[in-house]
Amino acid sequence: MADAEARAESPAEELAETSLPLTRREFLYYLWGASMAVFMAGTGGATIWFALPRFQEGEFGGVFTLGLDLIPQPNSGPADFPEGRFWLVNNGDSILDDPRQPEVYPVQQGVKALYKVCVHLGCLYKWVATNDRFECPCHGSKYLLTGSRIDGPANRNLDVFIIEAVDAEGNVLTRTEPAMDGREGTAINVPPDAVSLRVDTGRRVQGAPNTAPGGGL
Amino acid sequence: MDFIRGIFEPHIPILDDIKEKGVRQTIEDTANDSVRRVTAGLDIPALRGMLRGDEAGRPNPRLTPHADGFWLHMRPGFYNNLVTGLYPSFRLGWLSTFFLTFEIITGVYLMFWYTPSPLVAYQNMVDILSTVPFGRLMRDMHRLGAEVMVAVVALHMLRTLVTGSYKKPRQFTWATGALLLWVTLVLSFSGYLLPWDQLSLWAVTIGASMAEAFPPEVVGQTLNLLVRGGPDIGANGLLRFYLLHVIGLPLAALVLFGVHYYKVVIHGHSLAPEDESIGEDTAKKVPLDKREYFLPTIATRELFYVAGLTLLLIVTSAWFYHAPLEPHADPQVTPLHTTAPWYFLWLQGMLKLGDKVIWGVIVPGAITTISVVFPYFELGPNRRYAARRIGLSGAAVSVFVLAILSFMGTPWYAVQSSADQEVLAELLPQTHPGPLLTSEWDEFEAGTYEAANWQQAPTPALRNVLHLFEESLQQHGETLPNAEGIMVVENWQSGLRKVTLRVLWDSIETGEQTESSQSTYFHRDSAHEVTTRFGG
Amino acid sequence: MKWYIGLGLGTLILATAVAAVLAVQEPARMERFDAAFHARQIENGASLFENNCRTCHGPQGRGIPGVAPGLNAADLFNGSRLQAIGYAGTVEDYVRGTIAAGRPVPSEGTSYPQRMPTWSREYGGPLRPDQIESLVQFVMNWEQTALAEAGPTPSIPEDEAVGTDITVELPAGDAENGQTLAEGSLGCTACHVLSSTGPAWAAADGMPAVAERAAQRIEQDNYTGGATSAHEYLVESIIMPNAFVVEGFDPSVMPGDYGRRLTPQDLADILVYMETFR
Repeated sequence: MADAEARAESPAEELAETSLPLTRREFLYYLWGASMAVFMAGTGGATIWFALPRFQEGEFGGVFTLGLDLIPQPNSGPADFPEGRFWLVNNGDSILDDPRQPEVYPVQQGVKALYKVCVHLGCLYKWVATNDRFECPCHGSKYLLTGSRIDGPANRNLDVFIIEAVDAEGNVLTRTEPAMDGREGTAINVPPDAVSLRVDTGRRVQGAPNTAPGGGL
Repeated sequence: MDFIRGIFEPHIPILDDIKEKGVRQTIEDTANDSVRRVTAGLDIPALRGMLRGDEAGRPNPRLTPHADGFWLHMRPGFYNNLVTGLYPSFRLGWLSTFFLTFEIITGVYLMFWYTPSPLVAYQNMVDILSTVPFGRLMRDMHRLGAEVMVAVVALHMLRTLVTGSYKKPRQFTWATGALLLWVTLVLSFSGYLLPWDQLSLWAVTIGASMAEAFPPEVVGQTLNLLVRGGPDIGANGLLRFYLLHVIGLPLAALVLFGVHYYKVVIHGHSLAPEDESIGEDTAKKVPLDKREYFLPTIATRELFYVAGLTLLLIVTSAWFYHAPLEPHADPQVTPLHTTAPWYFLWLQGMLKLGDKVIWGVIVPGAITTISVVFPYFELGPNRRYAARRIGLSGAAVSVFVLAILSFMGTPWYAVQSSADQEVLAELLPQTHPGPLLTSEWDEFEAGTYEAANWQQAPTPALRNVLHLFEESLQQHGETLPNAEGIMVVENWQSGLRKVTLRVLWDSIETGEQTESSQSTYFHRDSAHEVTTRFGG
Repeated sequence: MKWYIGLGLGTLILATAVAAVLAVQEPARMERFDAAFHARQIENGASLFENNCRTCHGPQGRGIPGVAPGLNAADLFNGSRLQAIGYAGTVEDYVRGTIAAGRPVPSEGTSYPQRMPTWSREYGGPLRPDQIESLVQFVMNWEQTALAEAGPTPSIPEDEAVGTDITVELPAGDAENGQTLAEGSLGCTACHVLSSTGPAWAAADGMPAVAERAAQRIEQDNYTGGATSAHEYLVESIIMPNAFVVEGFDPSVMPGDYGRRLTPQDLADILVYMETFR
């Protein structure tokens, strides 16, 4: 009104005219908009939390407690745990002497929980006793009892779940650790005072990269 | 007091009209008025005039439904007659919309009988096929429509690319269209899981493992868990895929389609490149002599297409095309040679090239992004084919590469499993019935047969299967030296025969004879050929 | 333009005609599919039976005495077994319930030391409900042939059975017949499993063949039976199995009624066959 008429037409003042002063109304709108954005972001986060699956003990994704009698004999075939989606293997000394085992990967004697899902594209590989190895039906990836890949399009060794050997009080005596740069979980030797193994199917150690034909880097 | 008088002396307006004009005229006027309201602008003479093929008056009443009505408000009142022929659009955009509607309708029919729970989903499918009248027809039409829709939408995109219709000002139309292609693909993929048979479960498990490959690792893991509702696809996963398929993606499709079609009409259907001066977008201004009106011409044509396509789809689904139903999903067993559905074979082929993260997420992501935004970076306004040789060659090369990748996605291009398994899988495949189970049961007489002596087999069905057996053994002759195939057929139960296939060969490592065998059971009434894709 | 209208009309009439044709064919088609699905359940059931049930119930469902009853048996399908336990449902219900939930207690008058385990996931077993259903349909498919056959398997009259005296004198035996009995009709191989390396009586894995084992066992300190020679030990293991149970094995698993079911000739044949393993 009066102010508008009072504004002169000089270029400098016209330039100044283009940045309008912030009114309270405008500021409140912006504040409201920002708070709506924050609220939406919060809703998004809450939705993700809402939608994430819950895992229970004894269900895949949770912890499986196994008695020591379920561990297979060393160097015999793997023990099947379909609910946990893992094979329990006990690597004995014949595995260390196996000529197919690529040398670059550390292999210990002991127990490992191999995740049943092939690391290539998600099919379930099978244990083929006549060939003494795991074979995947989808694209032919093959692995040894230790989890090392020896053939096929997969690009790493098998993933393992973290096993903890616990004693009667529940103390963790020994646990699977990564042996190569955060990858390649080790086999555990079950200590004498352990009473059970806890296989945590929610925590996985990926196999080390393995891309050369026949295994190796 | 007036109010009380109003109750005892009601004023009925129509009686005034009758007094003024007479009964007959009043009825005629009321009818005209009602029809005009329903059609949003056409009264009875105008409607009849349209159906008789008379010249429209001035102003043209047939444009009023477009201006005043809801249903026709987005459809153009008239088209340029240069775009109403089959070229340049081939009606592919219209066809895509038809299929979207068709899928929604057939999908809702199927929803009457389907519950997305692993405990009942498979049985629901069996019930739909066996106890619901027209159940199999609905399912087959839905499946057929889905597969054809993917092809039609892709062809529509290809056509738009070739005729350069994505250029300014239609870049956003193209972008929404590219997104609609992805929505179509994911709609088809999410629906694939719902029958809950072996092929569904494993094809979708492999495909969904892309979500896990998303870098960085935390995002990938969370995305994977959100999509599957669990570490692998179970009850939660089925429900989430169902929600996506039935509500999430259709909503996205409707919204994107709304924007897409609105932009198409606002800019006008682009003319064929040769009909337009270079750089000028003349589609919106349609000269009077080139106008073809929607009502009645185009509307009639479209109704005819709907009738014809519906007939075609019914006839094809009734007699020529059937959606398969494999055995019940088993999360513990992956069948040999599991493949993706055909529209994702290219992705499966790419995955065989190397690392999942690069070839499963980054490269497809890059391809999608480029395909969505490239019109904004294309500078030349010239739509003529001669001026776009590089672009068109690029398009042709892309199609060719896609075809090659798709072939690479099939089971034949792969590191094979051991040769004996391959031979057995030739006759007893794990993803579909195969040549043995679709043979004539009566001709499968009990006995022991050698593959090498297939010509001496007593019946044609046995000869056929044994011949295939022998051929397969020959194909793998290098890895199976001295191979012998034996098939044993036993009568096992009433109407049931047990068929054992034995493969004997000399082991390459030890030289000793090794054997691999697989047995299956074959019932007289099992009619496996009926649930193969192009069976009876 | 007119031809669109005409063709559109024609198409719709044709579509109606096609729909009518399909409607007429639908009931027959649905029935055929039902039959086809039932047949496939039987096929799946046969496969599941082979992998899970054969070892106890025998490959043709005839049962193995002392291990598991026959399913391919008339007394199942004519309702006698149901009557014996006072079961209120149909035979199919009974079969389904037993497969799914197992049997904690055997029927009166039968002796099965091993209990039928639970098979359905709902009761802690490994199979899905649809797999249980397939097994049920497979078993029920024996109904016709089972009912058509003659009565129960004949038992030997008492004076012809070999009895439970381990010192009994046996006639000369025929090893080939012994092999037929051991690997076939008597069902020994259901438990004494034939592996890829040979029968359970052969030498394997560091253990000597059964005749040698017999000689060793009678010398052991913890031997509780009455045999004085390897031959008598073998006789005792068959007709008086609970006289001495080797460590690590459960008593009363080996059926104890072979003394009533074998003739002296049968026993002689079996023994000669076993003694061929060195």
